[in-house]
Amino acid sequence: MTAATLPAEPPTCPEIPRRIPGNKGIWAGITCEFVEFGVLFAVYFIARAHFPQAFHDGAQRLSVTAGTAITLLMITSSYFIACSVNAIRQDKHRQAVIWLVAGLIVALGYPLTKVLEIDWNLAHGINGESGIFFTVYYYLTFTHLVHATWGILGILWVLARLSFRGYSSADYAGLEALASYWHATDIIWLVIFPLFYVLA
Amino acid sequence: MTHFKNDHFSRLTVAWLVLVALTLASLGLSEWFREARWLPLLVAAIIWIKGVLVARCFIEAQDAHPFIARVLKTFIAVSPLALIATAFFGGTLARWATL
Repeated sequence: MTAATLPAEPPTCPEIPRRIPGNKGIWAGITCEFVEFGVLFAVYFIARAHFPQAFHDGAQRLSVTAGTAITLLMITSSYFIACSVNAIRQDKHRQAVIWLVAGLIVALGYPLTKVLEIDWNLAHGINGESGIFFTVYYYLTFTHLVHATWGILGILWVLARLSFRGYSSADYAGLEALASYWHATDIIWLVIFPLFYVLA
Repeated sequence: MTHFKNDHFSRLTVAWLVLVALTLASLGLSEWFREARWLPLLVAAIIWIKGVLVARCFIEAQDAHPFIARVLKTFIAVSPLALIATAFFGGTLARWATL
């Protein structure tokens, strides 16, 4: 009796996790956002290389308090929204809503602080025509504020859906997509803050 | 993927506290070592650490699709590297970028 031998099956590789936090659409948007700010940062570094003294002096005229406040607001709202995702994964719906409301309230502090900062700037004679440093500063920080405003509108939408039990531990892609966008916007601010407020 | 169901509250809280501490530390360091030539190196390191913390702890980039992980890794690394290049080779960079 002859025994047919089957070729041994190739060893199976352990599956590499290929998870998409949120959904593909939001990551297309985040990638575009990174490209946009990549270009703006390139402008910043080229201008800084050409006018190092203007950047050294300019940073000393900005309100470090406003910059620090915005940084802490961004970090904290990011944390609260991450906690909301953490809660919904465990089906703690009420906690998820509370964390997201907290994230929204703290996030709203950003545009408020920005308005106060602009008032402070104008009172100290700082506007978009005050020199190359301030032109770049207004360009970059206003663009970031616009992106943060989209994020705040996103939080409102997701909060409305979450309040009506639109998300659960089985499906929370919308909430996670918003969280990913907000964290990406947070990462961008974490670059902006030292470039304008710390490196004096 | 069951580990996503686990409670990551303490991990998130530690990450947030470290981010706050690094923000305050960078302010102090910039004040104390304002004239130090190596300050941009330190600031670049802090930018990178904070970016990595948000990517790993909040976005969970280590479990994400490789494209997403690469996008995050690249964006987080580019600015600190550009900052170091500008601080130490600003003149060369300005020459290259002159029309």
